[in-house]
Amino acid sequence: MRKLAGIARLAGQRLLSSLPALLGVVVFTFVLMRVLPGDPAVFFASGPSAGQQEIQDLRHQMGLDRSIPVQLAFYLRDIGTGSFGRSMTTGQPVLKDLRERLPASLELTFTALFIALGLAIPMGVAAALNPGTAIDHAVRFLCTLGVCVPTFVSGLLLIYVFYYLAGIAPDPTGRIDVFTAPPPSLTGFLVIDSLLAGDAEAAAAALRQLVLPAATMALFVLAPLARMTRASMLAVLGSDFIRTGRAMGLSRSRIIVVYALRNAALPVLTIAGIVFSTMLGANVLVEKVFSWPGVAAYALDALLASDYAPVQGFVLLMASIFVLVNLLVDVLYGLADPRVAAA
Amino acid sequence: MSGVARILGGGAAVSLSLAILLSAAPHAAAQTRAETLRQVTGNTVNTLDPTVPGSTREAFGMSMNVYDRLVTFERKANGKGFIFDFDHMRPELAKSFDISPDGLTITFHLRPDATWHDGTPVTAEDVKWSLDRAVTAKSLGPPQMLTGSLTSASQFTIIDPMTVQVKLDKPDRLALPNLATVYAIMVNSKVAKAHVTEDDPWALQWLKEHEAGSGAYVVDVFKPGEQIVLHRNEAWKGGKDGTLPFFKRIIAQTVPEAATRANLLARGDADIAIDLQSSDVPEIEKSGKLKVVSTPQFNAFTVVAFNTRIPPYDNVKVRRAIAAALPYEDMFKAAIFGRGAKLYGADWTTTPPDGKFPQPMPEHTDLVAAKKLLTEAGFAEGFDTTFSYSVSTAQINDPLAALLKESLGKIGIRVEIQKLPDAQMSTLVTEKKVAMFTDTPISWMTSTDYFFRNFFTGDQRWNYSSWDNQDVVATAQTARFEPDPVKYEALAKKLVAITADQVPEAFLWQPSQDAVMGPTVDGYTYWFHRQVDYRDLKRQ
Repeated sequence: MRKLAGIARLAGQRLLSSLPALLGVVVFTFVLMRVLPGDPAVFFASGPSAGQQEIQDLRHQMGLDRSIPVQLAFYLRDIGTGSFGRSMTTGQPVLKDLRERLPASLELTFTALFIALGLAIPMGVAAALNPGTAIDHAVRFLCTLGVCVPTFVSGLLLIYVFYYLAGIAPDPTGRIDVFTAPPPSLTGFLVIDSLLAGDAEAAAAALRQLVLPAATMALFVLAPLARMTRASMLAVLGSDFIRTGRAMGLSRSRIIVVYALRNAALPVLTIAGIVFSTMLGANVLVEKVFSWPGVAAYALDALLASDYAPVQGFVLLMASIFVLVNLLVDVLYGLADPRVAAA
Repeated sequence: MSGVARILGGGAAVSLSLAILLSAAPHAAAQTRAETLRQVTGNTVNTLDPTVPGSTREAFGMSMNVYDRLVTFERKANGKGFIFDFDHMRPELAKSFDISPDGLTITFHLRPDATWHDGTPVTAEDVKWSLDRAVTAKSLGPPQMLTGSLTSASQFTIIDPMTVQVKLDKPDRLALPNLATVYAIMVNSKVAKAHVTEDDPWALQWLKEHEAGSGAYVVDVFKPGEQIVLHRNEAWKGGKDGTLPFFKRIIAQTVPEAATRANLLARGDADIAIDLQSSDVPEIEKSGKLKVVSTPQFNAFTVVAFNTRIPPYDNVKVRRAIAAALPYEDMFKAAIFGRGAKLYGADWTTTPPDGKFPQPMPEHTDLVAAKKLLTEAGFAEGFDTTFSYSVSTAQINDPLAALLKESLGKIGIRVEIQKLPDAQMSTLVTEKKVAMFTDTPISWMTSTDYFFRNFFTGDQRWNYSSWDNQDVVATAQTARFEPDPVKYEALAKKLVAITADQVPEAFLWQPSQDAVMGPTVDGYTYWFHRQVDYRDLKRQ
């Protein structure tokens, strides 16, 4: 009980102390977007017959005819009231766009992280148990390959092999086959929604769409996770308590899984948290290649069009997620290592 | 070893289940697949109302399928497909129309059986409201309608419940064509009025996300940036001879990666795409598995524009020198793989053969003449300059710019290439701050005076060279209201001749639009808005 209260207090303190950082991020992005060259009003008024008057009207409509501090004050007021502005690229409120697209990115990232951890930890452990052997080299080779092939190359390659040549993957366009009716949206996670709606066919369709993009992303983050697991395992396996355990005649599997792996998990957890946040924001190439309607592709399109509101909304969202993920990692730390919670 | 085995086994199980998932049989395609058309595009429909500022070109195309106009252009066969016929028009939402002998009154007779998507009949009030909206709302509509002398709501009168009249001050040749353009949509006014607000008297906000049309297709799903799904309006009356379009269902999907779009087409999962990478198209055409309808965009023209307000481009000899130094043939092959119609290499000197515009100009690559012109202009040593284009056109313009730089280097002009983000490029062009750049402007109307009024006179963005030639201004205005075709032709020839002499822009080519479709898809038509009109297509 005291442990839980401690965790809650830690979480509260962390959230409070991250508010100034979030504010800084908002102000910085806001100013940066306006300092960048390019006038969104001109860009969006580029219809075949738009003249100066239309550009002026649009500038007024977007509030760009006011000074930057005034614009910033209005923006902060809007954020306070829960409005992130409207995207010119999609014509929708930014909050609605993000709410629709964030689950898509999360679903993909979670799946990718799950696959990556499922492969990386066994690989790292195997390499650590057999350092310098063929297994170790094979793991190193795989990791190097994964990290040095850019995601758009591996993505296109996977599409070419599994979709174009072999024809066993579904067409790589979006979260669910276009001819399948999507389930009613509850969580925004299509697989979960389909299962909740009892629609096994839609769930399978959504899962099939996930496999290639998630594998592409997983391949890319395999290296940091596997390498960290290996290094951390090696350190732990050489420590005194493992030797004691062996001397006491504990079974090998018990030593590795219960004693070594749990103690080696801390750095892996840290890396996994960072990998997750990075993947969420930086998987724009995967989203583009697989027509995945996620937040990163959305923000990139907006950036290229000098569409301020979506970019600002995206950065704020990513900053908030980063804060939350770090908090979660810290809490998990406490669970994995009681010494951290005590401190 | 058992622990490791278990851990490794877990990993293997994950990858195994992945493999099983991948190989699961694709579920049965919907029964109406043959009656469904799936378009893949790199862009997105961002609004259902094409008049909203910021509308994408895809939104323009979509509105042609969802909304009717009073009139539309006919189409004519061209190669493997069709092109729109600017000179022939037919009624669409109207049953018929007549023009008074003095050309000042256009009368539209409505169809008694035409209905909106909600099933209510189309009335003269709806048409009047829609026309008023096109010329009054704070939207893209008014500046376009202006080009056809349609400026005020008072020009539109309801004669009786089935008749609407349009009055003009002058017999403007572009009045009727303007009513066929993207912005002249006919809207169900009863539905729209229910969503009018004080700030928004024309329901622009509501119509952005909802449609209230009478067109051939009804919107089922509208997810900007992802997809839009339509179904056929079985009560549609606007087709030629009253026929319904072939496809019962349309899926237009955003697929950002061009290679993926090509894969989808090759696998037969998608039916049509008009924005594949131009470098991929020759390959696709050679393989013969897909149909490629290649149409030179005869209402567009690629130019190298000289800003005549920035020295040394205010000197006509400098402009002539550069126009003579451009390696046209090499650029044509390297930039667009020879897929287009040339706008150079004509053999006339002072008088063009006809008044068509754009048409091939009498420019040839001639470095000796170019060097001589440059010396006469006082730049024997050459000068430093910049050449700009937007990032989104880099695929075409990277090789073009490299060739231009090399060739101009030979006559002493040192070119610095500037590749700018799109928004920045459009800002600089609008503010008239770019010295020399390339772009491909496009016009919805293909009459010569319209090209000149929009692209070679005035202060707006599209006058790329900021050209201010009083002779051109006056001639274009006279031509606009000239009813006699022979006199019009003479004026048009004069406009082309002045341009060839003064070289405000060096004309390169009209790039082809490559529409790639499945072998069974037929009837593709190249429209002024350069988008797919699903009503034209059928499956053989």
